[in-house]
Order: sequence, then C-alpha cells, then structure tokens
Amino acid sequence: MIRIEGLAARRGTFALRDVSLEVPAGAHLALVGPSGAGKTTLLDAIAGLLPAEGRIVVDGREVTCEPPERRRLGLVTQDALLFPHLTVGGNIGFALPRAGRGAAVEEAARLAGCAHLLARRPDGLSGGERQRVALARAVARRPAALLLDEPFGALDAPVRRELRAALAALARAGGTSVLHVTHDLEEALALADQLGVLEGGRLAQLGRPADIVRRPASPVVAALVGTENLLAGEITAEGATAPVPFPARLRTAGVELRGLATRQGPGYAALRATDVTLSREPLRSSALNRLPGTVRALAPEGPLVRVTIDAGVPLVALVTRESADTLGLVPGTSVYAHFKASAVHLL
Amino acid sequence: MARSPSPAGPAAVAGALVVLFLAAPVVALLAEAAGWRGLGAALADPAVRGAFFLTFLCATAATAVGALAGVPLGYLLARRDFHGKRWVEGLLELPVVIPHPVAGIAILLAFGRAAPLGRLLGGGVVGAPLGIVACMLFVSLPFLVSGAREGFALVDPRLEAIARTLGAGPAGAAFGVALPLAARPILSGAVLMWARAVSEFGSIAIVTYHPKVASILVYDRFTTSGLPGAVPPAALLVAVALAAFVALRGLARPVATRS
Repeated sequence: MIRIEGLAARRGTFALRDVSLEVPAGAHLALVGPSGAGKTTLLDAIAGLLPAEGRIVVDGREVTCEPPERRRLGLVTQDALLFPHLTVGGNIGFALPRAGRGAAVEEAARLAGCAHLLARRPDGLSGGERQRVALARAVARRPAALLLDEPFGALDAPVRRELRAALAALARAGGTSVLHVTHDLEEALALADQLGVLEGGRLAQLGRPADIVRRPASPVVAALVGTENLLAGEITAEGATAPVPFPARLRTAGVELRGLATRQGPGYAALRATDVTLSREPLRSSALNRLPGTVRALAPEGPLVRVTIDAGVPLVALVTRESADTLGLVPGTSVYAHFKASAVHLL
Repeated sequence: MARSPSPAGPAAVAGALVVLFLAAPVVALLAEAAGWRGLGAALADPAVRGAFFLTFLCATAATAVGALAGVPLGYLLARRDFHGKRWVEGLLELPVVIPHPVAGIAILLAFGRAAPLGRLLGGGVVGAPLGIVACMLFVSLPFLVSGAREGFALVDPRLEAIARTLGAGPAGAAFGVALPLAARPILSGAVLMWARAVSEFGSIAIVTYHPKVASILVYDRFTTSGLPGAVPPAALLVAVALAAFVALRGLARPVATRS
C-alpha cells in the first residue's frame, strides 16, 4: 500500500503541489497528464530522489524523510536504465542480500519472462527484453509498490501488450501496488483500477477510469481521456442548481446544447464521439440534443469511421463502417447529430 | 569530373610535420643512448637504479594518495554544485600553468620546517622523500582529478538513482555503479598523473634536491659530466614515458557508460 498526503516538490521552476492519493495493496493506479504536468517529478519525489513536503506512507510506515534505499519502492523508467557493466543476472541481483540472491534473481527473471537472458549483457538486448529485465530487477527485492514511469512508451504495440501481461502477473504474484505514469490511455484503462490526471503540478481528477472518462472534471482532463468534442460557451441552469450535477444548457455560436453541469458561467461542453448518433432524417428519440449539420470529412479508424460534421459548431462522431455505408455518408451529406443530455458534461 | 579539394592532403602534411617535430628529439636521444653505453648500461649504474627506484616509488605513492583524495573530488565536481566550485576548479588548474620552480617555492613555504603544516608533518618536507611526493602530488594531481571528473560526468546519474531505489546507499551506488563505469577515464588519469609525476623536475629541485630522483639525476649528470653522463638515464626516462603512454592508449578505448 502506498499513501500520499499533501505532497509538494520542486524541480527547477516547476512545482508539484498538494498531491494526495492512495494505492491499496495489489491495486494499480495509472497517472496521465500532458507533458510537463509533473508526472515524473511526482514519481521521483515518492521514490526519494527529490526532496518533498507532505507525507508518504508505504505499507503503514512513513518514509517521507527516508532515503530511497529504505523506502521499499521499485522504480522502472522508459529507458530501463540497466547497469551496462553488469549482466542481466547482475542487474536483477544488484544490492540484494547475498543469502538467497540466486533464488530471488531466478524467480524474478522467470516471472518477468527473462530467465533465458541472465548471462547476457544489456547492450545486446532488444527494447522489450530490457524492460523485462528492468521489471524483474525492480520486483526482485519484493517492494511494497512499483513506480512505473512510462515503462512501455518506447515499445512496439505487440511487445507492449506482452509486457502489460507480464507486469500484471508480477504485481499479482507479489501483491504489489503499482503507480503507473503513462501517456497511453488504452494502457491505463487496460491495467488500472484507478485513474489520476495530473495538470500543472496538481492532481486534477482521481477516480475509477470509467467515471473519469464519462465525467471529466476539466477541459484538459476531457482532452486527455479522449473526449473529442469540447465546445466553449456560457452555461446556464435550467432550474435548481442543487443537487449537482444539475440540468443546464450551454450556448455557443448560436447553438444550444443540453447537458449536466456542476456550475454556471463560462465553461465547456465535453462530449465523447462515441455518444453521438447520426441519421439522415430527424429521429424521434429520448435524446434531448439534435443538431442538423453537414458532413465535412470521413476518416476510417479500424472498424469505425470518424465523421467530422459542421453543425454550426464542429462536431465529431464515431460510427461503424456499416452505419456509414447504410447512411451513405460522404462529404456534403446532410445529417442530424443526436446525443443525450446525460452524455454532455458541462465543465 | 572535377573533384572537390580534399582537406586530407594538407592535414597529412601538417600531421607529418608535428610527428617529425615530436619524434626527432626522442629518436635522437634513444640513438645517442645506444651509441654511448645503452639503456642496459644505464640500468647497471647503482645511482641511476636508486634514482629511478625512488622516482617510481614516490610517483606511485603520489598517485595512490591522489587517487584516494582526487577520485572523490572528481565525483563531487561532476555531480554537485557547491559554493566555491569555480575556485576549486581554478585551483586544480593552477599547477598546470605556474612554473614548477614557483610551485616548489610555494610548497617550501607551506610545508617547510618553519611552516605550521610542515611541523605537523614531522619536521617538514625539505630533503625528504615526503617532499618529492608532495611536489609530484601538487603538479600532477589535476590530471587524475580531471580524468575522474570527466569519467563520472559520462555516467548517467539516473543509474545511481536507480541503484538507490534498489537498496544501495550513496556509497554503494557510487562504488557499485559510478566507479566501475568511470574506471577507464580514472585509470587514464592515474597513468597520466603517474607519468607526469615521474617527469617532475622544477619543484623537486627546489624542495628536495637530495635524495635524487631521475630527473634531478639527469640534470646533475649533465652539469657535472655533460652529455655522456646525462644521455643514458635520460633515454631510460623517455623509454618509461613511452611505455606509460602506450598503456594509456590501451585504457582510452571507448566504453559504454550509459544504459
């Protein structure tokens, strides 16, 4: 278990402020955020590589003032950082107590899928092999938590998928908490029980991945979790403003959208492209939002087609290829975009 | 088709001139030594043997002391910013730029019999092997510190950070990761320091003329016996220096210092 309370740290002119989160034993928290949001600074502060204020508790023991070697945390970075003068076995066994070192190295290497590499030197390994070794090295000491700093960011998609499975197995085997910085939302959603979004050195949102994706707390969070439609405008309540969220409208460029808001005033409407339905004629449905528009562009994305529509405001819809064919969508086609008020988050 | 002028031709000519300029005195000295009594004859002279033994012993002691103090200093200079760092760096370059008799006078004033530091060392460094070691250390330490600093600067500091998260303390990370990865530049610096110490003359002539080291012996033989007396030990010194620098080339091969 790892618990962070009111963590603050500085790196140059950048400041990380008031970050609080908890990763229970065996749980996986993924952190996403734009470049420069403080993701690596946060991991370094937790690992003890940067001075920090606040509280860091690992398995019930406060380690805020402890040096890195006494924190029982394993760190894996994007470039693996293997020791080039040691073999793979030497890397995994680095600083392990002599007694039981061999067995610990073999066990960690087996779990990470690199047992066949023990005698090799790092400079001859592929990117995926290096990350397996880095993972094995980090778990060989049986840390209370793993801190992962975009560990799979530089790898090909198939290797990434393999390593995700290896990571899940390693964490499961040791009951290890994982705090995982990634820019890959798909990876975060595949692995994490909790998702955190860092923005400008602060934790902008923390919660279940599905909740954050459905209800992003800010335009930056919305953009990070893949909310394709983000429209700026004025938010006005349709009635009472309690309890929150309350029904409201957002007016923008002569278009009015109905959705759920937590406040009034200038703001944004966030709408996922998958929540937009298209038709050639106005439909009778429960969707409160219906905007006529014209298809401007179509872009195939695997089994789906990304449709860009000019509806007075730019809108993006994701529909299946079959739907696109049935509707006969081509640039210039007149369509209606429908979406429920519950899918429109007024931020 | 017209060929663009290649810089290789003029560079080769310039290089050949430099090589000729450096090689001519060395070849002349070695040829002269073979013409007189040869290097073997020089080695048969007990005074020469004694001076060379003293030189190598003092140079090795100076290099050992230099390694103990200079490698940690090189690490600090490569890894940390601290108040007065520029002054320390400037001080380290000073022995390279000041005339070595001046260095000898400064050592005499700091570590002589009358100086507090000299009394602390048990009667000063004048006329004692300790004085030779002090002179050698003063003039040659910058080579080792510089080698260590450059070696450590080539090692990715994040490797040490990872070592710390794996349970190694600051010393464990430095000895287990940084030092092995910086070993070659440090060894190069040590060989350079040792060779520079062996060749030191100016400061030793001021501080400890007796007992004689090799460079003092060569000078002494030249002033008392002329070239016939000076050439054999001089050629032997050149042969030692050549061997040291051939070894240095071997150590200077590139090595991966980053993951």
